[in-house]
Amino acid sequence: MLNRGSLHRRTGASLILKICLVIFFAVVVVLPLVRMLLYMANADIVEVLTSNNFKKATVNTLLVGLITTAITVPLAYLLAWCMERTNLKWKGLWVVLISLPMLIPSISQGTGLIILFGANGVLTNLFNLGGSIYGMHGIVIGEAMYVIPVAFLMLSDILAYEDSTPYEAAQTLGIPRFRQFCAITLPFLRRPMVSVIFAVFSLTITDYGVPLTVGGKVKVLPVLLYEQVIGQLHFAEGSVIGAVLLIPAVIAFLVDLANRDRGSNAFISRGFDTGDNKRRDILALIPCAAIGIFMLLPVLAFVVLTFVTNYPIDMSLTMAHIEKTFRVKGDIYLRNSLIISTAVGFFGVIVAMVTAYLSTRMVSPTSRLLHLLSITCMAIPGMVLGLSYALAFKGTIIYGTLAILIMVNMVHFFASPYLMFYNTMNSLNEHLEAVGLTLGVSRPRIFRDVIMPQCISTILETFSYFFVNSMITISAVVFLSNTFTKPVSLLIAQYEAQSAFLGCTAFVSLMILGCNLVLKAAVFLIKRAINRSN
Amino acid sequence: MSDTPATIKISVKDLTKVYGTKTVLDHVSFEVQTGEFLSILGPSGCGKTTILRILIGLLEPTEGTVYKDGKDITGLSPSQRGMGIVFQNYALFENMNVQRNVEYALRFNKETKDKASGIAENLVKRVGLWEERAKKPGKLSGGQQQRVAIARTLALNPDVILFDEPMSALDVDTRLSLRKEIKDIQAEYGSTMIYITHDQEEAFAMSDRIMVMETGKIHQIATPEEIVKNPADEYVERFVLQNLQTKVDSLARFIKVRHA
Repeated sequence: MLNRGSLHRRTGASLILKICLVIFFAVVVVLPLVRMLLYMANADIVEVLTSNNFKKATVNTLLVGLITTAITVPLAYLLAWCMERTNLKWKGLWVVLISLPMLIPSISQGTGLIILFGANGVLTNLFNLGGSIYGMHGIVIGEAMYVIPVAFLMLSDILAYEDSTPYEAAQTLGIPRFRQFCAITLPFLRRPMVSVIFAVFSLTITDYGVPLTVGGKVKVLPVLLYEQVIGQLHFAEGSVIGAVLLIPAVIAFLVDLANRDRGSNAFISRGFDTGDNKRRDILALIPCAAIGIFMLLPVLAFVVLTFVTNYPIDMSLTMAHIEKTFRVKGDIYLRNSLIISTAVGFFGVIVAMVTAYLSTRMVSPTSRLLHLLSITCMAIPGMVLGLSYALAFKGTIIYGTLAILIMVNMVHFFASPYLMFYNTMNSLNEHLEAVGLTLGVSRPRIFRDVIMPQCISTILETFSYFFVNSMITISAVVFLSNTFTKPVSLLIAQYEAQSAFLGCTAFVSLMILGCNLVLKAAVFLIKRAINRSN
Repeated sequence: MSDTPATIKISVKDLTKVYGTKTVLDHVSFEVQTGEFLSILGPSGCGKTTILRILIGLLEPTEGTVYKDGKDITGLSPSQRGMGIVFQNYALFENMNVQRNVEYALRFNKETKDKASGIAENLVKRVGLWEERAKKPGKLSGGQQQRVAIARTLALNPDVILFDEPMSALDVDTRLSLRKEIKDIQAEYGSTMIYITHDQEEAFAMSDRIMVMETGKIHQIATPEEIVKNPADEYVERFVLQNLQTKVDSLARFIKVRHA
């Protein structure tokens, strides 16, 4: 029938947009990965996989992953429990301190540990510590610092949304505390805990920042990949290691996907009443303060190393390290980082918001494909993504420019912001566009006037997520930047082995932390202002 | 209904909606008179919401035609149909205050653009929310929010208003007062209303005629009196009358005690 056209045209425009986005994701996610996997053909795969270095590194990687996860998750749960179930004093302060490592590169945790516990370390000298920080234990401590904030925030979120009514029911039935824990808490935690465990494990085994600095003779796979490609330009061998790194990440992703709770939080009937318990509140202070202060130590050490001439021999104050950092173009690299991070935030927010809109509010088979592609970004370790980009885009116009760094970071960090928008938009009334249509207000206008204004806080949060992560990342960008486009975080990797530059790397870590703190504070203030005006 | 001879406002012929292998509506035909209040009564999943979405143009029928004032409107976009819809969960614009919610759509229409705030102010007064006009929906009660939704729908002056279970989320008191409000508005504006509900009592209290549905089919369409006197089949007897009887029985106990 001729007069049915209008309905088809309306869905037509969105279909074109969806197909464009699918093609976009195919080019920036799927294509590079395929390129890397094909590139393995240039290497003697069997030789790489059976070499002693590789076998040792695989064992080390798994050990680091398992030990770190086993330590981190219970510790993070304890911290999250203290935050959500007690009336702990100065909660805000502890949250900020515990989350501090999320604002500096993972490699900074490594240099921080060296400054604190190295042969001439601040704490080594102070307490006359023996032994060495280098090795497996060093890696585990560094990685734990790197991933505790992630696990802590995930678990806090989970505990904040737990329903208290089953516990109240259990209490009225006289069921003892321990049995309550087994019968209510554990089943409730099972699904989210699997997500946390896999997130922590994936992050740990794909990081090269910490093991590069404090690993010593203990090599892990990401370090091996780094050495192959950066040190020896063995791209083919690198591809093989990259493919191996992809395996656990993909398994983790699939398990997480299958495990994800499809239930909604809308059915929560009651939150927890923390009640009065002085002893509990004081006890809770111990782990939170201990971990919080421990997270602060590297930052304090950076301040000391930045402003002291030659720790611990010459303790006079100096600006020499800062001047030296600028001499090696630290300021230009910082500018690069700021440009990249701002651009990633800007474009990332737009693409994530539009993609989430299409997949939540215009559901179709194409939008389900779009959803899958979007969250697939999560499964690809940064180094693997970077290597794939190096192989896929070499010789194209964007190679060697800031654009490719912006693109790779956007893809690398896309999944979380996308999911944040996905949740926000799913929670908005399903009939808004329908109301608009009946009132003669088009979909784009409803998007602009109704949907977007209700996403303001998600926009701010996702911008901050993109920005902060682009400031601290060293993984995807390491294979793609050159002396002109290098982000400042990579200066730390460049100078990590040179003790003469320890002051510079400390200062770089401080600069990154400073930028991120300023941005976080700005976002916090804007959000507060918006909440007040409502 | 008015005293003038009845004219047909909405006519639906052979409406069918199929999703995959599932037939949600099976050759449904009915007519609605101008100024009539028609309730569509049925359990969830009977296809009543599907009819509403097709009537207003949010959904395309697999087969069948919708006529309004004798014209085929099946292919028109929702805003071209001169109909309004009120949803169960209000679907208000949470980021705008009461006044802006009502006035928003008017600003996109050339004719109403300049008069938008005046029209909206009158409607906000009409539904009794003048004191609340600067508040955002989140600060209002459920009943107040539904009044805003009604005012927003009235702003474009539709001659047919559709209601999709507008009171399911409200408490009893609010329901009773909103019932009256909707009937008053109908009298005042002479609108034709099609009202979806699964509440037998609500349908009987408000409607000129009731359409009883089950699994995509119409069992009976008649005045409340006619349904009581001559239920079309066993289903109408059971779903409508027995349920009502239960309520009446409990009310009878109340009356007995009260007048004892």
